[in-house]
Amino acid sequence: MLSALCALCWVISVEPRKRVSAMLALTVFGALLLVPPLVLVFNQPISHFGVPQIVIYLFLVWLGLIIGTAWLSRTLAPDTSGKPDGLEDE
Amino acid sequence: MLSADFVIATAVGYVGLLFVLAFFGDRRARANTKSFLHSPAVYTLSISVYCTSWTFYGAVGNAARSGLEFLTIYLGPTLVFVGWWFLLRRLVRISHDQRITSLADLLSSRFGKSNRLAVLVTCIAVIGIAPYIALQLKAVTSSIQAVAGSSEFGQGSLAGIDDVGLAFGIAAAMALFTILFGTRHVDAKEQHHGVVAAIAFEAVVKLAALLGVGIFVVYVGGGLEPIFRRAAEMGVSAPTENSFGDRWVTTLVLSVAAIVCLPRQFQVTVVENSDESHLRVAGWAFPAYMLLMSLFILPIAVFGLTVMPAGSNPDMFALTLPMFYGQSPLALLAFIGGFSSATSMIILESIALSIMVSNHIIMPLVLRFSSGQPSADGQGVSHLLLVARRVSIILILSLGFFYFFFTRDSNALAPIGLISFTAIAQFFPAVLAALFWRDASLKGATAAIAAGFVIWVWCSFLPSFESVSPQVAMLVQHGPWGIAWLRPEALFGLDRLDPLSHAAFWSLTINVVTLTVVSLLTKQSALERIQSTLFVDVFRRGAAQRGNFVRGSATANDLFFVAERVLGERRAAALFETAAREIGVDPDMLEPSPAFIGKLERELAGSIGAASAHVMLSKVVSGSDVSLEEMMQMADETQQVIEYSQQLEKTSAELRSTAQKLEDANTQLRELDSQKDEFLSQVSHEVRTPMTSIRSFSEILLDPQGIDDVQRQHFVSTIHQESLRLTRLLDEILDLSALERGERSWENRPVDAEAALERALQVCDALLRQRDMRVEQGPRAGCTMVEGDADRLCQVFINLISNAVKYNNATKAVLRVTSSVRAGSYVVEIADNGPGIPKSERTLIFEKFSRGQHGASDQSGAGLGLAISRQIIARMNGTLDLVPSPLGGACFRVRLPVVGAG
Repeated sequence: MLSALCALCWVISVEPRKRVSAMLALTVFGALLLVPPLVLVFNQPISHFGVPQIVIYLFLVWLGLIIGTAWLSRTLAPDTSGKPDGLEDE
Repeated sequence: MLSADFVIATAVGYVGLLFVLAFFGDRRARANTKSFLHSPAVYTLSISVYCTSWTFYGAVGNAARSGLEFLTIYLGPTLVFVGWWFLLRRLVRISHDQRITSLADLLSSRFGKSNRLAVLVTCIAVIGIAPYIALQLKAVTSSIQAVAGSSEFGQGSLAGIDDVGLAFGIAAAMALFTILFGTRHVDAKEQHHGVVAAIAFEAVVKLAALLGVGIFVVYVGGGLEPIFRRAAEMGVSAPTENSFGDRWVTTLVLSVAAIVCLPRQFQVTVVENSDESHLRVAGWAFPAYMLLMSLFILPIAVFGLTVMPAGSNPDMFALTLPMFYGQSPLALLAFIGGFSSATSMIILESIALSIMVSNHIIMPLVLRFSSGQPSADGQGVSHLLLVARRVSIILILSLGFFYFFFTRDSNALAPIGLISFTAIAQFFPAVLAALFWRDASLKGATAAIAAGFVIWVWCSFLPSFESVSPQVAMLVQHGPWGIAWLRPEALFGLDRLDPLSHAAFWSLTINVVTLTVVSLLTKQSALERIQSTLFVDVFRRGAAQRGNFVRGSATANDLFFVAERVLGERRAAALFETAAREIGVDPDMLEPSPAFIGKLERELAGSIGAASAHVMLSKVVSGSDVSLEEMMQMADETQQVIEYSQQLEKTSAELRSTAQKLEDANTQLRELDSQKDEFLSQVSHEVRTPMTSIRSFSEILLDPQGIDDVQRQHFVSTIHQESLRLTRLLDEILDLSALERGERSWENRPVDAEAALERALQVCDALLRQRDMRVEQGPRAGCTMVEGDADRLCQVFINLISNAVKYNNATKAVLRVTSSVRAGSYVVEIADNGPGIPKSERTLIFEKFSRGQHGASDQSGAGLGLAISRQIIARMNGTLDLVPSPLGGACFRVRLPVVGAG
């Protein structure tokens, strides 16, 4: 699982074009992780360090989304699509 | 021990500090566009105006009452910001391009600059936000009372003032503060740098306060584990397990819509955005901010439930817990934090709403009644706008106060906020359609928002008065006039859902369905089509702006008057001077170009909204030579020209192919011509050879001496044979040309084709024997009647058979004759195993004067046989073709219709 994630990170870091797709995937999968039925998988009456497991799960997903977005946004190429070219010259 | 007086004094002092911050922030931002205030950090902090006192107080209460549901309010916006590239970037870009000032302006601009839609959106926003403002008033009132209520001493000067009076005081103070803050001047892009600076400061304060309280709680509780364990032992733990039902999904969806559509969020995220790249930071930093805000909410709620006396208000735990432990400074910080979150929300929300009200309701009215005559003082509209905004702020806060007044008995904060979220979410489908769906129409968007709003009023807004009005309670219980399926919380009999999910489900479903269906059924106006392209293709086309005024007849003077009225003299003059300098003329000589009018319209739109700016300029640029409709017509004509030219292109392609065919025919003709020449020389040669022998023999005969009778006899017979050969040749030529001209006609009558074939074989028997050719008899059809002439048919068969013999140079020559009746046709195939006919000659062999080049052992024929045969068969309505031979050589197929076979 972890190695798959590392491989994914590596692919995205060498192929900049895929970053926008990766962002879409992050958004969609993030949404799926936060709604039933996936959320119910982690909703067990278990506690870690005194905190209910589901609370830890939700905050970890949240943290993962933040880190993923920070990383993808930082490496994303500057966006020039649709900007007027040489408008200053006119 | 805190007293109410002290707390109120602190609050006033804090507001004073904010004011100073805003004042200097404004100055600094104006003086230096690269200052700290334009940084992504300040931008992110200003977006966190999303965390209001609902978060500060309400989330703790919500966590204590219904577990983890409070998290969805922050997880939804997290998803929107994680996907900032897809929605927010688009919104920001469009709003920069089009000088959008508010959500109402965005929708109105997209849907054909319709002011009606803007008015609808504005009204719904003002009504929908009223509960939200009431929530803030309630939170501040409760927090002051929580401080004051703890002791007789604490009441101070508040003694004898009830919560309504307190709330009124707060609302009035807020109105005053917002007016001082936000309506000092009208800005070009509706950006309020000073306010944003103050909001960013407040964001830091509220985060510090909530984190402070959280860390204090964890410290006092002895760590997270003891807090949760003790709560579990006492059986008061927040119900975390049952959070994931319909409400979980509903609040998630509503919060996604709210972070985009709430007027204040649109204001800070989109309108106040000074640089698109700030979204890159906000994309992760704002979710991180919300995560930090939510981090200690659950521990505070759980701890509060365990230590606070039963019956205390869980909404106020963040404030009452430090007070319970006697931590006055921390309690004061918590109060300031909660106060911060409430004030920042009220200030920004009312500024955003007042911009909408003044631009979309008051300005159009003024424009209508001022009938285009600029007032004497250039500052007229500017001043009017400010007054309009101040009045709107008072109106908005009054509505909030009245909502608070009517619903003051209900306890929890969060449900009130969700009522507002549901109202605001009604804009979300239209916003998405505006950005992504080209065919979404004005009528569709208007109908959708109106329908969603009506459902919201019925299912969500009305039931919130249940506790104060017996009539409303009756209505909710039994439905209007006892109609059960119209009950506000069980519409159409759907009573399984929680009331919030129910209202959100019906309003949004009907909203989306209306938007889709009406958009599909209605037609967009010309302006709508232009705007929809500008919005949907914002990243595709260069941001080149098309003015909607084409060839305006407006003079620079008229335009200057309009600009001066709205923008003020200084900015108007600067705008015109810049334009004049760009094209290198004196400002007095400026000829307003369409581009300039378009630019002016956008500048005006930045102050008064797209619809008003359009109306205002339309009055001046009225005599324009080309109207928008005409422009579209011109576009249509251009389209027609394009289609016409495409047709031309098609025709020319056809011409090209015809020319190609002609060229091919020409090549064939040339080849035939050369063959004819060759043939003529052949004929001449053929004719000359017998003529020569005839002449020489007759010359010998003219001199009777020296020849005996036997020789004479021989010479005469030679002359006879040669003349016969000559005659036969000439006959053939005559026959063919007669056939071709249709002179030699015969009457077609039923004849037995099989008999003709048999006769031909008999005639050729000697020839075949001479060449030692084996005849392979294939299957035969038996007696078959065809329309034709028996002799002519026999001639064709003889010709084909003799050709097969003549051109066959194989050692074991074989001729194969088959006949059959297929699909009403009599078919004869005459095949040989000779060299066959080369590809290059296949098209030519049926032509006149054409002869096989290879394999002919004697070239005695005139090359007319096949041409004659084909003519004959054609006259019998049949065909003569060359087909692939089963024996490897040539194979000729004669096909004739059978008599009486249909």
